[in-house]
Amino acid sequence: MAQIQKSNSKLVTQHYLGETIENRTIYYLQISQPSDKTKKIVWMDCGIHAREWISPAFCQWFVKEILQNYDSDPKIRKFLQNLDFYILPVLNIDGYIYSWETARLWRKKRSPHMNGTCYGTDLNRNFNSSWGTLGVSYNCSSEIFCGTGPESEPETRAVVQLIERKKSDILCYLTIHSYGQYILTPYGSTTEPPSNNDELVHVAQTAAAALTEKYGTSYEVGSTSSILYSNSGSSRDWAHMIGIPFSYTFELRDKGTYGFVLPADQIQPTCEETMLAVTAIIDYVDQKYFPGGAMMLTSGSLGLSLCLTAVLTLIVP
Amino acid sequence: MRIFSRMPSNSDIDDIGHKYHLEFVLEDIFEKDSTVNCTAEVLYHLGNKKSAPDVQFTIEGELKNTDEADKTFYNRIKSLKKELEAENIPDSYGNVSPEMQPIRALTWAASGYVIWQNSTENTKYQLAQIKHVKQVKRTDEYLEFDYMILLHENVSQEIIPWQMTVLWHPQHGVEVTQNSRQPKHALD
Repeated sequence: MAQIQKSNSKLVTQHYLGETIENRTIYYLQISQPSDKTKKIVWMDCGIHAREWISPAFCQWFVKEILQNYDSDPKIRKFLQNLDFYILPVLNIDGYIYSWETARLWRKKRSPHMNGTCYGTDLNRNFNSSWGTLGVSYNCSSEIFCGTGPESEPETRAVVQLIERKKSDILCYLTIHSYGQYILTPYGSTTEPPSNNDELVHVAQTAAAALTEKYGTSYEVGSTSSILYSNSGSSRDWAHMIGIPFSYTFELRDKGTYGFVLPADQIQPTCEETMLAVTAIIDYVDQKYFPGGAMMLTSGSLGLSLCLTAVLTLIVP
Repeated sequence: MRIFSRMPSNSDIDDIGHKYHLEFVLEDIFEKDSTVNCTAEVLYHLGNKKSAPDVQFTIEGELKNTDEADKTFYNRIKSLKKELEAENIPDSYGNVSPEMQPIRALTWAASGYVIWQNSTENTKYQLAQIKHVKQVKRTDEYLEFDYMILLHENVSQEIIPWQMTVLWHPQHGVEVTQNSRQPKHALD
């Protein structure tokens, strides 16, 4: 991440989010076009669940695509006029490392309980969204152990603190998981639809259609509680409940043939198609909150700064 | 081997249990364009949670003929000097060697039986990984394999180790002669 910041220092800054239970530092990347405007925010986190390796891969791909194509893609420059991207490549760092080094199918984080006889809270059951009510276990040995209380885990608190602080500026909360091929809308903790359900579903369907265009991969769209299962304490539910309008969970490839152990030759195609879905959502959010031809100004000001640079070059011996 | 997607169309509730009518497409994993339509009726028994759901199905058309591939696989295993033994299929990176693809197909079929026997309306099982497979020497014409597989249950998110013993013969098909759920730490 430091390297990304170094080679793209005009656009990217690395920020401290918090610490994991094993004292590893959690960083997020902020992609922001320099400007004196206050921007709205699109947040994306990956790697809440350790074994879902395609998830951190996608966050990295997203960052790479934005930075690599910034100069050549006018759509990206348009997004960045009014939107900042906050990307958290791996939230559950301890669990992720554990899945690489010790147990490939580990899901939770590595917090010790009961004198170190049992490990791990499921971070995606630990948020304060009807915490501890549905689709959870109070037993540490379960994969869906919701922790000792809402936000009991430092990783959860780190995310909550930042998002709470910036919530009036955050338009879109995306959290990336695998597997299943779903774009999931709120809620998991209730079958009551969110206030903006029709719009949420419509945008997700547009995103899923854009994704399918690439390689024919089909995604299902719907609320977690209606097409998957009930669960409380998810980060996506919490984000929507505190007022972030466009909150989605992505479950990436595949549908169980490989499941968590998606082979390497599917990493790039998965990332490419998912990119189309995510940009469709960002595009909608951008058009909705910043309609109009802001594009023209950019070309103009770019032209102006190029002129200035040329003039300065001539003047300076 | 076939993997199918579930598209329930309606559900009937009666005194005996919950019945579902399904229409779906079977797709050949090894040949994606090879598909066949299928309808099924699944009855989950109320009350008696221990019994497997009843399944009636109709396949519209014919399944692909695999006699050649079956024979090749059968002969290959029969002619091995030492009993086949392998682990972690796929491996952590999703790799499956070509020689292990038929073993994987056999495992899908066998684990399908185990999954069926243990399914309720609140479970969704997938075969996650073959932890360990060992061929058991036999004097007759059958092939026998002893397995430790990992099933992923989607609602609880658990990874469940499961032992199973599988018999197979090209003409007689697959049979799971023994299977038992293992405790979580059976892998340690």
